[in-house]
Amino acid sequence: MLSARRLYTTASSASSVITPTHSIYLSTSTNPYFNLSFEDWLFRHAPQKEPLLLLYRDAPCVVIGRNQNPWKEVNFRAARAQSIPWVRRRSGGGTVYHDLGNTNFSIHVPRTTFDRGATAQVVLRAVRALGIDADVNERNDICVGGEKASGSAYKIASGRAYHHGTMLITTRLETLGDLLRVGKDTMITKGVASVRSPVCNLAQFSERVSHDTFVNAVVDSFKAEYGVYDEPCIVNDTDDLARIGYIQRGMAELPSWDWAFGQTPEFEYTIKKSFVWGDVTAHIHARHGVILSCTLQGLDSELGKALEGKRYGFVEDEELGVDMSGREEVVWAWLKEEMSSYD
Amino acid sequence: MFSAIGQAARARTMPLMAARTSPSIIMRVPGCRTIVTKKYTEEHEVVAFDDETGLGAVSITDHAQESLGDVVFVELPAVGSKVVKGDQIGAVESVKAASDIYAPISGIVTEVNEVLNSEPGLLNRSPEDKGWLCKIKLSAPEEMNELLTLESYKATWEA
Repeated sequence: MLSARRLYTTASSASSVITPTHSIYLSTSTNPYFNLSFEDWLFRHAPQKEPLLLLYRDAPCVVIGRNQNPWKEVNFRAARAQSIPWVRRRSGGGTVYHDLGNTNFSIHVPRTTFDRGATAQVVLRAVRALGIDADVNERNDICVGGEKASGSAYKIASGRAYHHGTMLITTRLETLGDLLRVGKDTMITKGVASVRSPVCNLAQFSERVSHDTFVNAVVDSFKAEYGVYDEPCIVNDTDDLARIGYIQRGMAELPSWDWAFGQTPEFEYTIKKSFVWGDVTAHIHARHGVILSCTLQGLDSELGKALEGKRYGFVEDEELGVDMSGREEVVWAWLKEEMSSYD
Repeated sequence: MFSAIGQAARARTMPLMAARTSPSIIMRVPGCRTIVTKKYTEEHEVVAFDDETGLGAVSITDHAQESLGDVVFVELPAVGSKVVKGDQIGAVESVKAASDIYAPISGIVTEVNEVLNSEPGLLNRSPEDKGWLCKIKLSAPEEMNELLTLESYKATWEA
């Protein structure tokens, strides 16, 4: 409790100009677009030789890896039903769910000294300091009793690298499961697939653990590891930070079609459906979110051809420019539902 | 590594300008490239510029692939796209991390190494040769002069 008070009385309120030269940042914003863009700004602008720590939480959202396929990773139907957005982050790895019961840590170091094992230990020591008997698995994820409490992702640039990760504390695990459960087994995608793992919340193991106590524990562990004495710099998206061009451009890019959908690796999707008049098989091939080809078996139609070059999941009826027969209309309605991006 | 050093050393002994202004003095062996200049960026890309074709083959450096570890996915630019030096033109993801690829020089992408789509590991096995990412027709070949030599590239990370 003492340390919690310590944190929140050291806000950098003296000056509204926030520089990337602090060692420790705590974001009180829960906007995933802001937090990810702020993180990227720190990654690109902080002194390359100095270690840096950022901690933040996001309002409910699904965050996919840099080279993942959202149609394969995000249950759009469940996400839409709960008005939960999804975001493509800039680091690698798999898909995670964020809400206020999850705290994200981000440790930045010089590229040449980057060691995923070492940064994982910093976080592990923080969790253990809270009285939880946690371990690191072979993927450098922090686990308790064999279940993952944390998922990690990494980014490397010319002179800098970061290890960031989630820490499940009191996350709604049912929602996490609903949003990350996608059935599309016949969607074959390039890029990176998520590795599904059983997960747990730290709060299951200790009453002491909360966002604040975890934040303090990571700050202490980071300070001890890197010999840092600076107090955390508290930031929010209402600060002047949000007026920094780099951060604004990042916040605009993340939800854009070009980034969110357009960065999707090549994929193929084969689907079948029985209609009263026969079976139809559709084979769709897409790259960068654009349909390269769509072949239809069981239906004599120009429909597949008309879809070429169109954005997967975003095709409006009027864009097709084909006079559709009754069967074509039914097949098109089915294809549209199957490709749906619910956005 | 040794072959990369050797090529760069040869390239330095033949200044780009001299080669361009007096191509007639160079013996051209059929089927054999004449002058290839290799230059590097701080972002760990390497360009092998062929003075005869005006094409630059872009790769990531051997050092970059080493620090990334096993590459599992490579995102390449589209053929025909116009790129400006510094633009993000692709991405590499390894078992360890994601990394961006930036255009080391400006021009038009004429070819991409499609083999990497099915065999991303080629980037580890032969980063600066068979694992090339794309070929760019340079719109401003003088940009090559602004890039780093192997020695100055190494100095950026061998601190």
